[in-house]
Amino acid sequence: MLSPASRSPRILLLVPLLLLLLLFSAASAWKKDEFRNCKQTPFCKRARGRKPHSVPSLSVADVSISDGTVAARLLPSQPLRQATAVDDPESDTVPPRPLLLRISVYQGGVLRLHIDEDTSAPRRRFQVPDALLPDLDDRRLWLSRLSSPASGSSSFYLADGFEAVLVHDPFEIQVRRKGLREPVVSLNSHGLFDFEQLRDKKNDGEDWEEQFRGHTDTRPHGPQSISFDVSFHGADFVYGIPEHASTSLALRPTSGPGIEYSEPYRLFNLDVFEYLHDSPFGLYGSIPFMLSHGARSSSGFFWVNAAEMQIDVLAPGWDDPAAPANGRIDTLWMSEAGVVDAFFFVGPKPKDVLRQYTGITGTPAMPQKFAVAYHQCRWNYRDEEDVASVDAGFDEHDIPYDVLWLDIEHTDGKRYFTWDRLLFPNPKEMQGKLAAKGRHMVTIVDPHIKRDDSFYLHKEATGRGYYVKDATGKDFDGWCWPGSSSYPDMLNPEIREWWAEKFSFQNYAGSTPSLYIWNDMNEPSVFNGPEISMPRDAIHYGDVEHRELHNAYGYYFHMATSNGLLKRGNGKDRPFVLSRAFFAGSQRYGAVWTGDNTADWDHLRASVPMILTLGLTGMTFSGADVGGFFGNPEPELLVRWYQLGAYYPFFRAHAHQDTRRREPWLFGEHSTALIREAVHVRYSLLPYYYTLFREASVSGIPVMRPLWLEFPADKETYNSGEAFMVGPSLLVQGIYEERQKSVSVYLPDGQSWYNLRNGVSYTGGVSHKLEVSEDSIPTFQRAGTIIPRKDRFRRSSTQMVNDPYTLVVALNGSFAAEGELYVDDGKSYDFEQGAYIHRRFIFADRKLTSVNVHPANLGGKFSSDCVIERIVLLGLPSGAKKAVIEPGNHEADVELGPLTLRGGSSPDAITVRKPNVRIADDWTLRIL
Amino acid sequence: MGDRLRIFLTISCLFLIWISASASIPLSESLGIAPQDLSYYKSDVIKCKDGSKKFTKEQLNDEFCDCPDGTDEPGTSACSQGKFYCRNAGHIPLTVFSSRVNDGICDCCDGSDEYNGIVNCPNTCWEAGKVAREKLQKKIAMFQNGITIRKQEVEEAKQAFAKDEAELLKLKSEEKILKEIVQKLKEQKERIEKAEEEERKKKEEEIRLKEAERKANEAKKAFEESSHDSSDQAPEKLSELPNQDAMEDHHDSAIEEKSDYTAETEISDSQAVGKVANDHDDTIAKSGDETDDTIAKSGDETYDTNEESSFSHVEKQHLVGDQDSTMLKADTDDYTRSKEAPSSHVLEQGQVLDSTEGLSREELGRHVASRWTGENAAEEEDGVDTAKEQGHEHDEDIPEENHGGYNSYSDEDHNFDDDDFEDDPDMEFGDHEEPAGTDSSDENDKTDYSDLTSSGSSSWLDKIQQTFSNVFQAINFFKSPVNISEADTVRKKYEDSSSKLSKIQSRISSLSEKLKHDFGKDKEFYSFYDRCFETKQNKYVYKVCPFKKASQIEGHSTTQLGYWDKFEESYRVMLFSNGDRCWNGPDRTLKVRLRCGLKDELMDVDEPSRCEYVAILSTPGLCLEEKLKELQEKLEDVNASRPSIHDEL
Repeated sequence: MLSPASRSPRILLLVPLLLLLLLFSAASAWKKDEFRNCKQTPFCKRARGRKPHSVPSLSVADVSISDGTVAARLLPSQPLRQATAVDDPESDTVPPRPLLLRISVYQGGVLRLHIDEDTSAPRRRFQVPDALLPDLDDRRLWLSRLSSPASGSSSFYLADGFEAVLVHDPFEIQVRRKGLREPVVSLNSHGLFDFEQLRDKKNDGEDWEEQFRGHTDTRPHGPQSISFDVSFHGADFVYGIPEHASTSLALRPTSGPGIEYSEPYRLFNLDVFEYLHDSPFGLYGSIPFMLSHGARSSSGFFWVNAAEMQIDVLAPGWDDPAAPANGRIDTLWMSEAGVVDAFFFVGPKPKDVLRQYTGITGTPAMPQKFAVAYHQCRWNYRDEEDVASVDAGFDEHDIPYDVLWLDIEHTDGKRYFTWDRLLFPNPKEMQGKLAAKGRHMVTIVDPHIKRDDSFYLHKEATGRGYYVKDATGKDFDGWCWPGSSSYPDMLNPEIREWWAEKFSFQNYAGSTPSLYIWNDMNEPSVFNGPEISMPRDAIHYGDVEHRELHNAYGYYFHMATSNGLLKRGNGKDRPFVLSRAFFAGSQRYGAVWTGDNTADWDHLRASVPMILTLGLTGMTFSGADVGGFFGNPEPELLVRWYQLGAYYPFFRAHAHQDTRRREPWLFGEHSTALIREAVHVRYSLLPYYYTLFREASVSGIPVMRPLWLEFPADKETYNSGEAFMVGPSLLVQGIYEERQKSVSVYLPDGQSWYNLRNGVSYTGGVSHKLEVSEDSIPTFQRAGTIIPRKDRFRRSSTQMVNDPYTLVVALNGSFAAEGELYVDDGKSYDFEQGAYIHRRFIFADRKLTSVNVHPANLGGKFSSDCVIERIVLLGLPSGAKKAVIEPGNHEADVELGPLTLRGGSSPDAITVRKPNVRIADDWTLRIL
Repeated sequence: MGDRLRIFLTISCLFLIWISASASIPLSESLGIAPQDLSYYKSDVIKCKDGSKKFTKEQLNDEFCDCPDGTDEPGTSACSQGKFYCRNAGHIPLTVFSSRVNDGICDCCDGSDEYNGIVNCPNTCWEAGKVAREKLQKKIAMFQNGITIRKQEVEEAKQAFAKDEAELLKLKSEEKILKEIVQKLKEQKERIEKAEEEERKKKEEEIRLKEAERKANEAKKAFEESSHDSSDQAPEKLSELPNQDAMEDHHDSAIEEKSDYTAETEISDSQAVGKVANDHDDTIAKSGDETDDTIAKSGDETYDTNEESSFSHVEKQHLVGDQDSTMLKADTDDYTRSKEAPSSHVLEQGQVLDSTEGLSREELGRHVASRWTGENAAEEEDGVDTAKEQGHEHDEDIPEENHGGYNSYSDEDHNFDDDDFEDDPDMEFGDHEEPAGTDSSDENDKTDYSDLTSSGSSSWLDKIQQTFSNVFQAINFFKSPVNISEADTVRKKYEDSSSKLSKIQSRISSLSEKLKHDFGKDKEFYSFYDRCFETKQNKYVYKVCPFKKASQIEGHSTTQLGYWDKFEESYRVMLFSNGDRCWNGPDRTLKVRLRCGLKDELMDVDEPSRCEYVAILSTPGLCLEEKLKELQEKLEDVNASRPSIHDEL
């Protein structure tokens, strides 16, 4: 839209004051005051103020095994109960009801602890439904025996080599390696467990209301928070609990000796305008999963709770400055509501922890192949002409892209599922033109529905009572893009079904099969709500308060949308839905991104720890807006961002509507060439990425990985948030400073590394100082790995389907290497029936073998005529003359060839020319 | 029927070409190679064009990339840097990226880029070529006409330019003469006034003496007649009298001066120079006798400034600022910022007071939304409120004022205005004394000077010189007492001449302002100087005044898209920059892309990036011979490829 003249000056009063204000707001756009800090949050303030063992302690009683689980009651420890109940009947401390405790064990080293009030409570506490895998119970181990080696505790089997111990008084849970005294993870070792039981208001008119910046939270059910300490033993660092912006991957301590004042990590889904690049304050999504890693072991802890959560990472010595405990990290978990439904993961390797976590919440969905390629977005591609010209621009500059995105302005007055008739008169035709080039489109659908009686969606939702209600029972009315808006109550499965139907081709007029969806603002963002969100006393399905499920609202919305696309394609087409808000389990429904970042170097740097953290907590399909959402990146920053972003699992450029246009060719020929190269890198690695997404969808191991996930024994890697692994084979070092001339890169121990730019081999276990050019960021292939590539470039990934492969074989010290390739049709679920190709390439004794990893018993068939056109060997001793291929005994030439075909000065490596073996076949290639 | 026949012919024709091509040289070898390059590939061992390697004939188009630059794979997709040539017989040959070969999408109209059997691309070159040829022919015809018009315009422009230059030269020499005359008249006038003054004083002295005499006589009489009491008082009274007179005198002369000045103002007011006079009002009133000097001096300064032809608008502002004080410069900056600032005013205010609590729920919603959108949260609440109206006035008036005449006067105006603006934010901008827009004041300029610049101007100067010498001679011999009528004549002549002088100086200033611009290689854009182009799109009217400014008008509100900056891309783009600032964004800019057309016509205004506008202006000025030649060659090429198809048939 043309900027209306109305944006020019209006009010001339108080101009000097205004100028002053502008200066202020430039210094910090983040509106800190609009968000509650811990001190302004009563439950957090209370919990944080407690000293270890100062809470009236609870003890375990009536331990038994029933139905294969451990059951017990938690009661106040004897002396205290007497004191409160007898001595002072009028005191504030009403004798608490017993809490019900249940412990179950799942396959693979998972312990579940459940603590809730008994049935006499005035109200049922909320337990997040549909967040965990539905078949979880099938994997529960049937516990039959409790052993009590020493009286005062009960222990039972957890996994091979691990046992769980329930200490009776004071109550404590420990996960231990068998035979060792020191636990791996424990809960309430410091006696901070506190459970505010629901109660009725006292007669004297007790005031439960809370005020924040003019918003009143009626809190009709009073205080109901839960807090406890969790200790990770043998841990050097803890990670996880997204989403926070940070330049550090490891969670920095937030409390304790030597820590300047810091807020706890806040998990509360919020739409934060111009967020800071380094802050413990909450952002768009919340995953209450923390994992620890140390030289001895890794473990994890996950609390299924969707209310506001605050988590302190306590610095050594927090409990006793005189005797700081080393090799242990204590944490304090605080939540406003809900129950204790927590999982302990025993590890012992970090990948085990991830497998255990995704075993509970699900592995990431297998994405469509196109979605793994490059996405072009902007708020907003204005009209069909703009779309056509951007599309043509990519072709003109020979830069591939797969998806063009339309932000909110494409709609008719921010009514989602509609099109602005002037700007987008022929949406189907427009999508058709893109689809003809194998490209896709994504449109935005947000949860706020315009309160407009002529809007069918609003009419239906109102008529059926599908909106979230406010505290008085009326449809909640908040302000968002369309103005006055209401929000469908996505907690209700019936409403989710209704929502899903809206995505059918029939219901969503102007949609075609090449159209996919973007869910934004689903924290939910409410412009005039407390903390730019929904009031906590709003009411959901089943009389659930918004406070209880806040962090999962976006999750349910994402789920409903994803199911909508699934239904649309009759269950045959994999959905692609990008969401901004997320919760544990969101990985099953699509991708997420790190929201409205800023075009500056710090945000570029922070993107890596943020995405790594998301990957560690299941959300592997994630990325940051390339270029930065707010502001205008200098060409150098934009180029660096493309070079880094090309390795993000989700690779999308995006920009705010006030920014200058940023399509890759607008920054001069040189920058265009550099960006083209960066995008080409991603496209050539698509076979590798797709294989990694497959691995993630099976095992939960993320595509983009912290170094220590691959090198758990190498302490140097534990706190590295600058470099990262893509899969097991590639190490990438971002460049995060302007005009940086050199960079120090630590290459992990155990193997040597091949610089993919110059083919030079570097030894592992040391930091190397490397010169940095503007052409690329440092990338290394780990010796002993094989990476499949496609080196022919097309307009989009769709046209690459028949193109031949290149294998890059990086040999280790014993001249061996291994790698995998997974291929399927890239869009359907046929792979679930086995319709895929999965090969393992093994190089040993100068022989490269392609082995089938596809289980023979799976019926489905997927075939491909694709061949391998080139095999590049790094680190092979000279003397190769030719290659002989079996079966068929045919020969291929061996010569010096470039490591990459892009750019002029790629170093030569030994290249097998046109072996032309099919990827679908078994074969062996001998180098003679 | 005909269509089917054509398709059949096309297909068979394609087939024949294919047969004949494969018969002469193997298809795979020559595939994707441009005809002029065929010889490069003749030898058995071929070099990569980048010199990196050699490859054998067997490696040519063998689906394996040997040369990083793609030399060895012109006909396949094996090399990422390669290019594929399609002959497109019947249409224009095309070179596409190797990535288009066998990608399942028909890129060449002859279908030669898709040969692996996955898709079938029909040959559409004949049809497409026909359309393209017709289009090309039309374009050529337009260029031919355009070039003729352009020639004419260039001729006119050259004449107009020469005329303006001549006029400027003449005006300058006239200015020199007139300056002397004015100077002399001034001296004369002063002498007369001095003489008058002396005469008057003399008279007064006489009167005083007489009076004194009389008094002395009276005193003597009294002294003689009565006692000696009052003898002390007399000298006192005597000394008082002349003082009083002097004061009254001074007062009178001040009034005289002032009324002189007022007269001058009235004259010059209508001549656009009036602004200077007005602005210097205070200074002039204070400086009394120096009034004339001030005007002359400020005129000179202006002229100097204008002569620095390379100064952009902004630089000029700063120059003026420097002349006055840094304070003014700061004001200018503030002003620029304040232009956009008010839109966020309401909400920003809320923040600092930390009182979003005071907002209604809807206000709060708008307020938060506006962070992302940059829209004014307050403005949408009421369609009409006073703030809005004020804003409109601001929109309209301020920029007009600032840059009205494009001379440095207006810049000074601007700074002074800002002073007011800062001191008195409540002030209505409508109060400023320049209701007229740019265009009208320009017109005034022209009409005013028509008498000066017409052919009779020399006689006008002669006349003035003549009169001057008459007057000068007549009063040369200084007589006393002064002849009153002569004195009046001198005064009147002085007034006339100095007013003429300011007219000339003003004209010189505006002419030099115009002539300092770059009007293109052949001065083909000379006529653009006094013209504006408009186009209406949706609710906006876009107005582009080359060498001046460009604006977007919506009803009563005007947004400046930019002020003239320069030509870019060798006179193919007009750049207007430093327009009104966007909230949360840059200053607005407009790039007007020029293209050949028979009329000067503005079209297709667009805002591809927030607050960066582009527009297209068709003009004969861009109908260039070289381009025509290019088009003609292209047409020849296309036509040349036509017979070949028949040959082969």
